[in-house]
Amino acid sequence: MRTYLREYEMSKRVVENLKATFGSRVDVYERTERRYYVTVSNEDWIPVTRHMYEEEHGRLATASGSDKPTGVELLYHFTMDKEGTVVNIRTLLAKPFPKIESLTPYYPAADFIEREIFDFLGVEFVGHPDPRKILSSHDRPADFHPMRRDEQ
Amino acid sequence: MSTIIPIGPFHPVLEEPEYITLNVEGETVIDADIDLGRVHRGMELLAQEKTYDQDCFLVERICGICSATHSWATALAIEDIVGVEIPDRARYLRTIVHELERLHSHMLWFGLGGHIIGYWTVYMWGWKYREPVLDCLEAITGNRNHYAWYCPGGVRRDVADEIWPPVLKAMDEFDEKLDMLIGAVYDDPVILARLKGVGILTPEDAVAYGTLGPTARGSAFDIDVRRDESYGAYDEVDWNVVCLDGCDCLAVAAVRLLEMKESVKIVKQCINKLPSGPIAAEVREVPRGEGIGHVEAPRGESFHYIRSNGTNMPERHKMRAPTFNNIPSFRPRVKGETISDAVLIFAIIDPCYSCTERLAVVDSRGERELSYQELLKLSHQKTEEIRKHL
Repeated sequence: MRTYLREYEMSKRVVENLKATFGSRVDVYERTERRYYVTVSNEDWIPVTRHMYEEEHGRLATASGSDKPTGVELLYHFTMDKEGTVVNIRTLLAKPFPKIESLTPYYPAADFIEREIFDFLGVEFVGHPDPRKILSSHDRPADFHPMRRDEQ
Repeated sequence: MSTIIPIGPFHPVLEEPEYITLNVEGETVIDADIDLGRVHRGMELLAQEKTYDQDCFLVERICGICSATHSWATALAIEDIVGVEIPDRARYLRTIVHELERLHSHMLWFGLGGHIIGYWTVYMWGWKYREPVLDCLEAITGNRNHYAWYCPGGVRRDVADEIWPPVLKAMDEFDEKLDMLIGAVYDDPVILARLKGVGILTPEDAVAYGTLGPTARGSAFDIDVRRDESYGAYDEVDWNVVCLDGCDCLAVAAVRLLEMKESVKIVKQCINKLPSGPIAAEVREVPRGEGIGHVEAPRGESFHYIRSNGTNMPERHKMRAPTFNNIPSFRPRVKGETISDAVLIFAIIDPCYSCTERLAVVDSRGERELSYQELLKLSHQKTEEIRKHL
C-alpha cells in the first residue's frame, strides 16, 4: 500500500476553488490541514452545496444541526475522498421557524439526511420531495422537535 | 392496478424491526418505501450528558457488531479537537481489533445472506468459521463484542506477547476456509442463480444516493476511508481496496468475501510489525473546538462530529452509522425485481443487526445424528441434482 498522505497544496485545492468561485461570500476557516469549515449566508447555501457535489465531487457524509441561542445551525459535512479531507459548510437559520432550500432535488443522498434534521430540529426544507419525519415515533406531536432547546 | 405488500416491522428474515412497503404489480415491484425509527434510543442526546471518557463506551452500544468503529471514530474526533499524537503501538493495536471486527461482521453477513436465500449450509458454515475470530477478539480484548478497547489518546489495555501466536494460527486457518468459501460462491449454482444480475445499482446511482462501503464498491464507486484518510496503521501495511464493477448483489457479496482476505493480511502484518512502547497518550483537557472522526466500518463509513465548549462533556455529538446512508439505495435497486428477491436486495446492504446470538445444536426428536462427512455427502448430492436442472 502506498502512502496516501497527500500534499498540503492538494488538500487545500477544494477551499481555494470555493474562494475563487464565490469570493468574499464564503468565509473559510482552516482548523487543521484535513478539516475545513466554511460559513455561508442562507442565500448562498444551495449554490455552494451544489458546487461541492457537482464540481468538486464531494460526498455528503451527513449533516448535523444544533440549536443555539442565535438560531439553528446547519452543518453539512462533505467528505472529499480524493483529497482525504472533510469540508464542512455551515449556515445559521433564524428561529423560531428555521427554513432553507432543500438540496435533495439536486442530490438524492440528501433525502434521509434532511428528513432527520427536519425531524429533530424542525428545519423546513423548501422543495424537499418527501418531507416526513423519519426516526422519532409516530405519535410525537407535529410541532415538537426533540433537539430544540427552547422547547424543553 | 398495483397492490401494496407490507414487510415487517417484525419479520422472520429481518432481525431488526424495519417496515418496508412494496408497491407491486403482479410479481414485479414498482416502488418501495422504508419506515425507520423503531429502535431509536436518543443516543445523541445521551452522549451530551456524559463525559468524553464515558462517550467512547456509550457509542459502542450503537451496534453489537461494529462496536469498535463507533468507539474509534469518537476517539478520533476527540483527538482532532485536542490535537494529540497517538503512540505507534496504540495505532497498531487499534487497527488489529478493527480488522478482526470486520472479519467477524462480514462472516456474520455471509451466514445471514445464506439464511435469507434459504441456503442453510452457508448459514451454518459462515457462523461456524466466525467463531474462531470472536475467540481471537476475546483473547485480545477480553470481550467478544463490546471490547471497551478505545479511549481518547490510545487503547485501554496492553496485550501480552504470548497472545499473538494463537491469533496468527487462527488467521492462517481462517484464510484457508475463506478460499474455500470464495470458491463455493463463484461455483455454487444456487448462490449464482439467486445473486447474479439481481438488484442492479448503477455506478451513477451509487454516487447520487451516497452509498458507502461494500455497497458502493460493488458498484465501481471506489471509496474507502482506510485508504483515503489513512488513519491508524493502514498506510504502513500492504493491502488493496477491493472494488468490483458487477453492480449486482453478487458483486457486493464478492466484495465482502474478497475484503476479508485483505483484512487477514492486515491483521497478520500488524501483529508481525507491532512496535513496543506506550499504549496511550495523555488527554487531560478537551479545549473549545470542533472535531471530526470517520472510520471505515464493515458496512461503510462511520461518521462522528463532536463540538466541545471547554467542559468535560460534549456540547454536540453527532453520530451516523453507515446503514443510514445505504438504505436509500434500496429503492433504485428493487424497482423491476420480483417480490421474492426484495428481502435479499434489502439485506445486501447488510442492515446493522444488533443481535449476537450463540448457536446450540440439540437433537430433540431422537433421530439418528448424521456425522459431518455424511452431511457433506448429502449436500454434494443435492447440489448435483440442482445443477442438472439448471
